[in-house]
Amino acid sequence: MDEPKKKYMKKSEIFTFGIGLFGVALLTGWMPDYTQTYFADFAFKGKGFDAGVISLNISTVFLVAGIIGAVIELVTGFLIDNTRTKLGKAKPWIGFGAIPMAIVAMLVFAAPNTSNQTFAIVWMYFIYSLYTAVGCAVERPAECFGALCSPEPSERSTAISIASFMKSVGQSGGMVVVMVVGLIMKAVMGQQQFKNAEAQGLDLVISTAVCAFGFILFVMIFFINNKERVPYTREKVSLKDAVKVVFTFKNLLMVSLTKLTGFGRGVYGTVSLYIAIYLLGSKDLKLALLLPMGIGTAVGTLLVNFVLKKFSTKQTYILFCIYGASSLAILYFVATGIGFRSELIVPFLILNFFCGLQHGNTNVTPNIMIADCVDEIEYKTGKRQEGLAYAGFGLFAKVASAFTKALGPWLLYTWSGYMASTNANVAYAAQSDSTLNKFLMIYTIIPAIFVILQGVPILFYDMVGEKKEMITKALMERRARAQEQNSGSQADEQGEV
Amino acid sequence: MAKKEFNAKLYGIIAIILVGAVLAVITFSTFTSRYTAYYEDRVATTYVKTIVETGDGYNAYKNTLLSKDGKFGDFIRKTYLYPAIYEGYYPGGSTDGLKGLNDKSLKGEKTLNDDGSLQGKLINTMYTYYELLLKKYGSWDKYGDIFTEYIKVLKLKRNEIFGDTYFDDEVFFTCLEANVSTYGQKLTGTEDEFDKNTGVQTSFAKKGIYEEKYGEDYKFTYTATDILDNPSVTDDSTSYVPSGAKGPVDIEDIKGSKIITVQVKCNNEVVIDGIDIAVVQIGKTWYVDTVMSDDTSPLYNFYK
Repeated sequence: MDEPKKKYMKKSEIFTFGIGLFGVALLTGWMPDYTQTYFADFAFKGKGFDAGVISLNISTVFLVAGIIGAVIELVTGFLIDNTRTKLGKAKPWIGFGAIPMAIVAMLVFAAPNTSNQTFAIVWMYFIYSLYTAVGCAVERPAECFGALCSPEPSERSTAISIASFMKSVGQSGGMVVVMVVGLIMKAVMGQQQFKNAEAQGLDLVISTAVCAFGFILFVMIFFINNKERVPYTREKVSLKDAVKVVFTFKNLLMVSLTKLTGFGRGVYGTVSLYIAIYLLGSKDLKLALLLPMGIGTAVGTLLVNFVLKKFSTKQTYILFCIYGASSLAILYFVATGIGFRSELIVPFLILNFFCGLQHGNTNVTPNIMIADCVDEIEYKTGKRQEGLAYAGFGLFAKVASAFTKALGPWLLYTWSGYMASTNANVAYAAQSDSTLNKFLMIYTIIPAIFVILQGVPILFYDMVGEKKEMITKALMERRARAQEQNSGSQADEQGEV
Repeated sequence: MAKKEFNAKLYGIIAIILVGAVLAVITFSTFTSRYTAYYEDRVATTYVKTIVETGDGYNAYKNTLLSKDGKFGDFIRKTYLYPAIYEGYYPGGSTDGLKGLNDKSLKGEKTLNDDGSLQGKLINTMYTYYELLLKKYGSWDKYGDIFTEYIKVLKLKRNEIFGDTYFDDEVFFTCLEANVSTYGQKLTGTEDEFDKNTGVQTSFAKKGIYEEKYGEDYKFTYTATDILDNPSVTDDSTSYVPSGAKGPVDIEDIKGSKIITVQVKCNNEVVIDGIDIAVVQIGKTWYVDTVMSDDTSPLYNFYK
């Protein structure tokens, strides 16, 4: 009979780890989209700036911030791995970084009252790059905390999957906040005065304050209650080690590569508006289209936890990839077989829910795999490098996201043969059947191909089964020996005194 | 001496309080610097600015007492639109159980199959009429007459173009707001526009009246040159009571009343020396009193 596995974490810690990630996601999920809206429509409203110049610069602001984010990602990983404090190596970054992050996020929504266009543009670059840098220095350690919360892999996996679920809920939290803030403002100010305030972007300002306060509150709950339970290794990590960790450890590289090989699975988001307009009949249905998928993702995140109890991480990942590609293919064939009719919206949305389930896997399983890879790297090198392992994964994710952002519009506006309306009174021009079919392919078949491709690197992943158990056992013994030696030398020192 | 342990609990509590306080300060200062309705001079200048910048008297009413008890759009619906849509509707009443022109069964083939082209034709047709109305009244001060006459013609023109009697509030707001916007563009001019996704040019640049008269980089500035108490509201010996969307305002609710003189300059040259705008304060919010500020025609005609 299997010996029951030792529990290291208090039950409340699993929950507060989730609360912490929920808080981080509440702010990081809110910031990019709403910052873009705020910069474009409200920050310098009525100042008479050139709309074309501002709009062009907003795109570049996000590009520059993305590059800064990628660099800071690696720097943060490197710094985490060289941090040795009584609080641990990741926790201090989260706890002490949260204060500047909340304040800088708020300052993004406090545009200066200036009539100087150049100053306004410089401010946008500065403040959003600063937010991205501070945000990376908190978000990355919060993610890699999963690998530090328990030395026991199964307990760690449970904590990571529950936290990932709460994180995915937190990412959409801002949408609820802005809605509730709007309702309260309407009740307090009256409908027209609310409209006037909304026209100045003040509902966004208040919602940011709420998200930032939620962030600090939830992160501090985590900070107070949670402990790092995997001892850090004493060796200093050099810059050369840092690069080596990210690119040369096969298993870690394979997990990171899933982001690159699967980069096109997110292109469905680009076409969702057009699916709503041309195939479902109203652009208002975009939310209705994405909502079932979002709910599916959240449910999928919980479902993965149950699947992981029966199967290894490798099997789980591949299983979900096959399921995901199949569900998208079914959606395509059902949609083309019976055609789009308004009375079929409900079954279409139900199918969307089932397509969303697969995303739970990509939210959870790689994080668990990286934690396992960190064990493997420690076993091989004697150095524990959570920071760099998660930073490397984050870096690949950022590059993949840039590819997705390039591929999506190309597929939609060039490959599909999309015709833009040239009539000022017609918002969306009629499209050919071939274009409509390609829209559907961008929504289903093309992501399905990338879902399969993202599973390919995992075929070469082998940190599972006996190997994983052997490494876990060896590390436990190594840590126990180190602890004995430590307590022995401490006793000797006390004896000498 | 033993080193003191780091107290995470205390740090967490201090962090929450500190960040909460900083967020509150930033939010409060941003809100008060951007929200105009808590300052009498800002309400008056915003009202003037909305009209001057784009000739938009329609949206300027969103700063007035007509918008106190609800959205300005709802005031228009209840007072002018519903009587034109529902048979037997009386202003302020309920539409429950009333049969109206917004019944979907009244939509004809052309309405059901329109991709926006006929809607565009209607908007263009109504624009000519909108300009005529502004010329006739010289401002938006007689908003009631403007709404009534516009709705009457809109129903007729829609019937001609679409071949059915369907009519709802969306038809009205889409048309009127498009006309208000086009009128604004006539003053400000337009730039070349391209479809942001495909790069296809959707419209060409046009010079506006302001550009022709004041140069390409013209800039209007607004200053409240005088702020005086308005005794006609606060003095017991007079009987004047400002009116909102639901009729006269309860005099007990009025906390302040001022006359603000707003000067408008273009490129630092005075174009309107001073226009008096009456404002009243209810609660913390200031509103323009449209009954007392009943001649805004200089704001529509200064460039002619």
